[in-house]
Amino acid sequence: MAKTITQEFTKGLWKEIPPFRLVLGLCPVLGVTTTMENGIGMGLATTFVLLCSNILVSSLRNIIPPKVRIACFIIIIATFVIVVELVMQAYAYRLFLKLGLFIPLIVVNCIVLGRAEAFASKNGLLPSMADGLGIGIGFTLSLASLGAIREVLGTGTFYGASVFGPSFQPFTFMIQAPGAFVCLGLMLCIMNLFEN
Amino acid sequence: MLTALLFMLGLGATCGLMLSVASKVFYVYEDPRIAEVESFMAAANCAGCGYTGCSAAAVAVVAGEAPPSVCVVADAEAAANIAAVMGVDPGTAEPLLSYNTCTGGDRAADKYYYMGINSCQALATLYGGKHECPVGCLGLGDCVRACVFDALKIGPHGYPVVDEMKCVGCGACEKVCPKDIMEIKTMSQKLLHLNQYDDRIAPCQQTCPAEIDIPRYICQIKNGDYEGAVNTIRERNPLMLSCGRVCPHPCEDKCRRGIEDEAVSINQLKRFVADYEMNSGRHLPVSVAPSTGKKVAVIGGGPAGLSCAFFLRRLGHDVTIFDAMPKLGGMIRYGIPEYRLPKEVLAWETDGILNIGIEHKPNVMLGRDFDIGSLVASGYDAVFLGIGAWKDYTLGVEGENLGGCYTGIIFLTNFALWQQEDGARDRQPFVGNKCVVIGGGNTAIDCVRTLIRLGAEEVSIVYRRTRKEMPANEVEIVAAEHEGVKFTFLAAPTRVIGDEEGNVTGLEYLKMELGEPDASGRRRPVPIEGSETIMEIDMLITAIGQGPDVFFKDESKRLDKDLNLTRWDTIDCEDPVALQSSIPYIFTGGDSATGADLVVSAIGAGRRAARSIHLYITGEEITPPDKTLFTNNIPVSIFDSVEGIEKSARTKMPELPVEDRIKSFVEADLVISEEEALYESDRCLQCCLTCYNKDVA
Amino acid sequence: MSEMGYFSIIISTIFVNNILLAKFLGQCPFLGTSKKMETAVGMAMAVIFVLVLAGSITWVIYHLFLVPFDLVYLRTIAFILVIASLVQFVELFLKKSIPALYAGLGIFLPLITTNCAVLGACVINIDEELGFMKSLVSSFGFAVGFGVALILFAGVRERITLARVPKPLQDTSIGLVTAGIIALAFFSFKGMV
Repeated sequence: MAKTITQEFTKGLWKEIPPFRLVLGLCPVLGVTTTMENGIGMGLATTFVLLCSNILVSSLRNIIPPKVRIACFIIIIATFVIVVELVMQAYAYRLFLKLGLFIPLIVVNCIVLGRAEAFASKNGLLPSMADGLGIGIGFTLSLASLGAIREVLGTGTFYGASVFGPSFQPFTFMIQAPGAFVCLGLMLCIMNLFEN
Repeated sequence: MLTALLFMLGLGATCGLMLSVASKVFYVYEDPRIAEVESFMAAANCAGCGYTGCSAAAVAVVAGEAPPSVCVVADAEAAANIAAVMGVDPGTAEPLLSYNTCTGGDRAADKYYYMGINSCQALATLYGGKHECPVGCLGLGDCVRACVFDALKIGPHGYPVVDEMKCVGCGACEKVCPKDIMEIKTMSQKLLHLNQYDDRIAPCQQTCPAEIDIPRYICQIKNGDYEGAVNTIRERNPLMLSCGRVCPHPCEDKCRRGIEDEAVSINQLKRFVADYEMNSGRHLPVSVAPSTGKKVAVIGGGPAGLSCAFFLRRLGHDVTIFDAMPKLGGMIRYGIPEYRLPKEVLAWETDGILNIGIEHKPNVMLGRDFDIGSLVASGYDAVFLGIGAWKDYTLGVEGENLGGCYTGIIFLTNFALWQQEDGARDRQPFVGNKCVVIGGGNTAIDCVRTLIRLGAEEVSIVYRRTRKEMPANEVEIVAAEHEGVKFTFLAAPTRVIGDEEGNVTGLEYLKMELGEPDASGRRRPVPIEGSETIMEIDMLITAIGQGPDVFFKDESKRLDKDLNLTRWDTIDCEDPVALQSSIPYIFTGGDSATGADLVVSAIGAGRRAARSIHLYITGEEITPPDKTLFTNNIPVSIFDSVEGIEKSARTKMPELPVEDRIKSFVEADLVISEEEALYESDRCLQCCLTCYNKDVA
Repeated sequence: MSEMGYFSIIISTIFVNNILLAKFLGQCPFLGTSKKMETAVGMAMAVIFVLVLAGSITWVIYHLFLVPFDLVYLRTIAFILVIASLVQFVELFLKKSIPALYAGLGIFLPLITTNCAVLGACVINIDEELGFMKSLVSSFGFAVGFGVALILFAGVRERITLARVPKPLQDTSIGLVTAGIIALAFFSFKGMV
């Protein structure tokens, strides 16, 4: 194997960081990033599902019959999503309510299914874990940064703490739907600028 | 817990059962490759590729609309697997490249004053185009903005320039261009293109029977890119050394500079770069498409056959040339004498053609050693019949077969065989003292100039019209005159006189005068009653024209009988562009289709036949597009006068002094020097369809 | 939403709670299939077709199996399984029985399997505790909303190819900003219902 485990891990942090390089899985990116806390919560939930599904898919990759593999992947992913759902309901109910619909929708997040198919089903356990963790953390970082920007501009707070003081007039646009699109679009633009 | 398990099992079983039943009940045949290709995709159905899901992308890949690397989630390995399913090797597949087909740019005068947004599409929608030229580039750079690889920029002359290193052939520029200036093509597609009425091409390129992109290679010479010029010519003409020497360059007749000044010496420039490659001692690499596994037999190793074989090989087919003569070249080896085209030069050229992977079987003759049936039986998918025109027409007068009488082709071929020591030393050609050659074509001139070099005392040409009507190349006639050939015009032979031993002693002819012009525009010669005159001669060569030698048609019975011939014995092909004979898998071209004609016409026909054969064996429509230009000119591009021309002298062709050249067969015409080539290339106006570079006064 | 009339549900789902621009569901096909008008129209039609079917069948599964057997926590996995099978079944059925319709919609169907708009809309219907007919209407509304937004977006995107866009902003980046502006326009529907 040409790539080391470290490389598999780090590629998710910059080279293939979702959703900037892999423009996939945009729904939660746009939907939940009104605050940084939401972003981190969503990112961690996705990371958990990614990691677990990658582990299971990778260990079962020689058992799953190729014809029904997509269905199997979906069931594996759905199982872990339910686990996340139940755990959050029990221990982080407030966050669960905020993220709402987007937790069950991790099932249909293209990133999770895409990694299972494109990576875990072809690679061993350790690289798959590294890949899942790397992509997951990259995704969490993106969500957190987008959430932070929107939160700071939209409500004037950073992770709940006030930044600008009471005289600040919040830039409400940013935490609403159109702001999500524009903010992500501009972040993508900045990424492109850096690349050149 | 138990209910949950039962429920999930039940649900899974129901879904699985329903789907498996449905897949049997609703079975519809689908290309199995689609499922295979889809199995390699990431199956995330993310639509990141622009197709609506993985199966839609798989369908597009199988249909050839999307590249194997279309999936944005899957890795390079998956792309390689998909490519393997599709049978294309991702590494060696022919690259698609973007080509700009308009070199008008700023030169085309503005027709409208345009103030709208800076976009070709907007401009084209509003006015149909800014420039006077109906098909030219608008130069606002939609293509440049469409290119995400930075491979395009608007060049200094106002038209897009492609950086071939950066271009990946994605086709974005082609899609946005409202004028279809940008084309995304593989080399094969470029080789298959025939000049069209809506192409942006200069008059010289329209006129050239081989459709060479003349302004482009002259521009490359001007920029010192001689190898680029060689490659440009080789996209249309594999025999540039030979053509550079013997071509009567019809292109120069249509040169725009020629309207106000002397035409650019296009053929000398071609010869210059061709000689440059030969003198470098190395054949430039020629790109060949991945192998298709189809086999084509090319019968005849003359210009048409060589050209057809060359282009078929470049398109990826396996080609075998069957030739009756010991060495390749056909009429340009055995008909054109050494002093016009040295055999060494020709051998270097044919070697280069065989080097790209063409098989050559010498000394085998159709109808004697094999027939079409045996080729079909050996698995050839198509046959190109390029047998040339090797059978002289005869005068049809008394005494034509006396000793000392020859026909032009037999005389030249025997001499060439003897000269090349091809095992025919004993057939040393007979040379008389007082020799007469009947005819006014290039064969006749070749005969007289050869005779002079062989030491004949008195050599004359007898022609039934005047010098003005002689079909031979002007330079050849002039050279013959310089070398001391006598001309007897307006003389029609009526009888050949011989002695008791059966040797020729005299030629009786009737004097003629010119009457009304005939269908070909030449004034018809009319005999003058009672003007019989006798010339004393001891050798007579008749060179009054040739047709194909189709004796094989009587020899092989099974398949060839369906091959239709015209009344001139040429092979009948309904469409002179498609060149398909009455037997669908047999194609023809060159002299065997048209009767004796120019080398460059045979080369052009070889490529057109290669195009038809390629389309035939890949199962596509052969009929050329309606807009095919063929040897016509685009009316809008033909001018009466040309503005902005400063007269400048045309480079003279260097040649050996007469005293030296009549004693030997050393090449008489010489190549121009590099300085002359640069000067001459600078004279080119770089014409496009309607615009051109004016001389800077 | 459960106390609204049918008309209000339609207005609410198409404009106010537009599934793409307000709920942020189905973003992948929104950006992926909006480069060309033809694709966008096909996708919109296919979503309408599947979403109505999926909406009704998931409602049946939920209220007839999951609720009585107290298996509500299996909702996600059951729904995705049912939707995936349903889409595949419809694809097979159309291909054989109504080839004309398949030619128009068929290629879009598999894309919808993992489209979160479909699963999302079904889950929303359940969460809002709508009755069968209302959830049917709401599914239809969501799907139409998806179609309207997608087609509007594709129209704008086609025009953008004509514009001079700064290099770093090109493609997805300008697409997202455009979507933001369209979302801003949809903002004005707030308060209609």
